[in-house]
Amino acid sequence: MSEPKPIKSWVKLLEAGKKATKHQQSEESLQFPLRRSFRPAAPDIAKASLKRDFEVGLVYYVGDDIEQDRALCGLERRPPTAHTFKDALEKKRILLEKAGITTKLGFDKKKGVFEY
Amino acid sequence: MIMANSISQTANSRGHKKYGYFLGCVMPAKMPWAEKATLMISKHLGLDFEEMKETLCCVRPGVWKAINTDWWLTLTSQNLANAEKQGIILVDSCNGCWISHYETLKELTEEPAKLEMVNRNLSSIGMHFSGDLKVKHFLEVLYEDVGLKKIRSNVVRPLDGFRIMRHIGCHARKHGDKLPGYFDEILRATGVEIIDTPYDKTCCGLLLYFSDPHTSIFDRIGVKMSTAKELDIDAYAIICSGCYDQFERAVKVFKDERGISFDTPIVHFSELLAIAFGYKPDDFGMKYCRPIPTTKFIEKLASKEGKK
Repeated sequence: MSEPKPIKSWVKLLEAGKKATKHQQSEESLQFPLRRSFRPAAPDIAKASLKRDFEVGLVYYVGDDIEQDRALCGLERRPPTAHTFKDALEKKRILLEKAGITTKLGFDKKKGVFEY
Repeated sequence: MIMANSISQTANSRGHKKYGYFLGCVMPAKMPWAEKATLMISKHLGLDFEEMKETLCCVRPGVWKAINTDWWLTLTSQNLANAEKQGIILVDSCNGCWISHYETLKELTEEPAKLEMVNRNLSSIGMHFSGDLKVKHFLEVLYEDVGLKKIRSNVVRPLDGFRIMRHIGCHARKHGDKLPGYFDEILRATGVEIIDTPYDKTCCGLLLYFSDPHTSIFDRIGVKMSTAKELDIDAYAIICSGCYDQFERAVKVFKDERGISFDTPIVHFSELLAIAFGYKPDDFGMKYCRPIPTTKFIEKLASKEGKK
């Protein structure tokens, strides 16, 4: 009697499960695979804004066009946020690093991309 | 830290309130007219009110709290520690920023273990948060600290004849009905007529956008803006920058994907107050940087002035 053919969708699901749990696991989860925890991945749709957040400290950039609009509205060209106060951004980056947030989220700060 | 506390206590003991306006991410980049109008009306009402400095993203509870609560508390605390050091009352008009600051402060003052965890992380950047801070929504500042009577007495150009729809946003309803009540009462003080619709309490769809962009655009903002168009509303009044971001996004998607152009301008609550206080739209750049032009609104205002 020949081996039964694997059900494709089940194989896909298994592969997806392996991929989603392919990160550092506790001793317990090595013994009990069903207890493997999912990594704290950022939702795909939020990754672009998170990347900007890591790079400028805020979700939106303030570029030349926006600076011009701000001036037209009677404001300082650059807001008194981390766009101006780079020290605040630097502190945030250290905080993200030291609290292990960027690593656990799989953010490669050199390449500026999420690993998963 | 001792210095920060003493500044804050000194300010309180003198009865003087120094407000620091938290801009967040959206307002300085997409709503400069709202930022300017808010600063103008606050000064007009005699408040010691300036933009808070050195601010970062609030951080968005819809994203961060969902990923990891401790991370959300830690990152939010950098802003709170900064505000504490600056000796200000932290003021938010974006509901997302407000809920992040308000709930973080609540958790940290009620649960010492969390405060300890946050301070352990903050110590890596030489910061500390003791919890000696007040966080207020801008509506609370106006209604509770200034008062409706004073607001009404400053209205020199009542906006009677202007029909508006309004959207306060879900997070302003999360901790009771106080803020929606303040929003409506202050809006009515400007003289506008608020048109009630069945969609006033529905969400803008900003958070839903992360899981179901289609529904969040077409079944949330789409319904609201279509109703505004049908009722020939003069303006859609909002206060939350997060909601504005979603309104703006939806307006663009409708135009790009369905060829539908909405023409009801989305205006900030502060703009209506500024106009009612006698400022001209040009004083805060009402016509710049918007997906829906405010031309019709400004023309109606000019025509109303001309008839006097």
